[in-house]
Amino acid sequence: MNVAGTFALLQGGTLPPLTQPTIIVVAVLYFAVVAAIGVWAARQTRSARDFFVAGKGIGLWTMAIAAMAATLSGFAFIGGPGLMYSVGLGAVFIVLPIGVTGTLGAWTLAKRIRLLGEARGLITVPDAIAARFNSRLARGLAAVAMLVAIVGYMATNILALGLVIDAIFGTGLTAGLWIGMGITLAYSVSGGILAGVYTDLFQGAVMAGASILVFLFTLKVGGGDAGFAGTILPVDAPFLAPWGKMTPLAALSFFFVFGIGSLGQPHVVHKFYMLREPRKLKWYPLIMSLAIVISLLLFIGVGLAVKSLVVRGALPPLVRPDDATPTFLLRFTPLLLSAVVFSGVAAAIMSTVNSFMSVGAAALTHDLPIAFGRRVGNELFWGRMSTVLISLVATAVAGASGTLVAFLGIFGWGLFASTLVPSLAIGLNWSGATRAGSIASIATGLGVTLVFETLAYLKVFTFPAGVTATALALVSSLLVFFVVSWFTRGTAAATLDADVRFVMEV
Amino acid sequence: MTRRLTIGATIVATCCIALAYASAFVPGGARWGAWCMVVGLATMVVSLMTLGVVRRDRGVGRLAWPLAFTFVVIVAGFGAALVLPVEGPGARLLLGLPLRAAIVLYGVGLLPILVLPIAYAATFDSMTLSEDDLARVRALGVAHRERQDAARARGES
Repeated sequence: MNVAGTFALLQGGTLPPLTQPTIIVVAVLYFAVVAAIGVWAARQTRSARDFFVAGKGIGLWTMAIAAMAATLSGFAFIGGPGLMYSVGLGAVFIVLPIGVTGTLGAWTLAKRIRLLGEARGLITVPDAIAARFNSRLARGLAAVAMLVAIVGYMATNILALGLVIDAIFGTGLTAGLWIGMGITLAYSVSGGILAGVYTDLFQGAVMAGASILVFLFTLKVGGGDAGFAGTILPVDAPFLAPWGKMTPLAALSFFFVFGIGSLGQPHVVHKFYMLREPRKLKWYPLIMSLAIVISLLLFIGVGLAVKSLVVRGALPPLVRPDDATPTFLLRFTPLLLSAVVFSGVAAAIMSTVNSFMSVGAAALTHDLPIAFGRRVGNELFWGRMSTVLISLVATAVAGASGTLVAFLGIFGWGLFASTLVPSLAIGLNWSGATRAGSIASIATGLGVTLVFETLAYLKVFTFPAGVTATALALVSSLLVFFVVSWFTRGTAAATLDADVRFVMEV
Repeated sequence: MTRRLTIGATIVATCCIALAYASAFVPGGARWGAWCMVVGLATMVVSLMTLGVVRRDRGVGRLAWPLAFTFVVIVAGFGAALVLPVEGPGARLLLGLPLRAAIVLYGVGLLPILVLPIAYAATFDSMTLSEDDLARVRALGVAHRERQDAARARGES
């Protein structure tokens, strides 16, 4: 979801100027809180376990809200309403799976991942794949796929962060990009994932509160006397069709890619390791689902309200869809609320970048060396160095080319989903899955995503409406996982250790 | 048995979704392709949930109802959006939205949130993770660490 949002943000190339004293003051206060969290977290971080999984010591509310914030990020505020303004209610299909994904993730992944952490002391997503399939190759492939995806994902987010900082402070894009990365890097290197989850908690709470307030304003001014539907239907009925202006297959494809694909997002899955008490998972789906619904009120409210205001002539048609939220906030809400939302967008992107820094650093410092049969001596030190390295690479990529970065962001989402969903969501719940099936599905996800996304980017061909490279890669890797596991079914039992089998059956 | 059936259902769901995407390349495939996607999505969501629910060779017990409910809501919600007539100006509204959009948004988007997390919490102790289960996993963790320490003492990696 985050990629779709930042991608949408990048399409516009800029945001309307927001350089007003109130907005600047709130933004500075926001960054000060983030910095304070980073300093506090740095004092708590003494080992690699602290750095990568917050010492497995965070509470349920923190984990659930952090997972929500990492899932939504800036998309809920900027990209989503803009997308809805463009394609109508079909845009909702990106977030519609939240009705099921909270509980789906809890049943298929949360318990298994957390218990594997308990039984084996695991700290990364490739750790879980390696333990399940007893395979260094599967671990290495998963780590490589994650690293490639993370650089793309981070580059997309860093560029979006640069755009927001430029809009608030008027720094220029290049300076905004390096300033944003520098602030995020400072607290990430010192405080690791602990800084990330508590920043997520802070910004998630702000997102939820701001979302409710903005939603109330959309109800007050958006619909007019006839309400949203009464205003929009006579002029643009397809906007309020269930698929919006998209085809049914395209809208349903969103549900598949963002619903099932959510099971392979390492920055969310990774957080299950961090929960202090596994039995607190009991209330995770409820808290996570309600927090997301509340935070998405702004997405749906602003999308409908801006369209309604344009239809009524209260707003001129938007030049760029991504102007929907800034335009609505600046014209129809108090400046202080606008300031909080704009700062929230920057903080949301920063916390997502932090999550990726941590997951990427773990892949580089922990998983790749183990895949080659080695261990890094001081994982905390090298974890910090890896964080710096990944951030510099991602920022350099972000500065290189806007359109390439947007492509890499889409590519990243697809890679996570197609390479990790079969081995995690199915592999951790089915003892018939085999090592060969896992390796083949990860390789398929990597190959299909790389080939089809590149060909589509180079415009060698275009897919019919509703078909995307991400969806094809996810379907292909699932099919390969089943087919190869069936052909190698005789090896399934041999690669499954007794303690891992117990965790899968409990 | 339940797990085997569930894996079968997940494979069927994957094939349905693959067929749905294939339909986009076939003239006139849009209608049946959308139905393939609806059935595939509902089956995949529920079969993956079931895979997570099933423990050893036991069934899904009381969770059969919320799981069946989820399947019905997804198929009926998206199915209604496919078969009900397209709304125009003056269409009847349900909770502020045209009927088909309301069914999808409130039905598929919100109804499961009122049922699934509650079902998860209500059955957590008996069907997901009890104190005994956790104690046994922690004992496995202790044994694993002891094996690792012994291996280190012997100079193995």
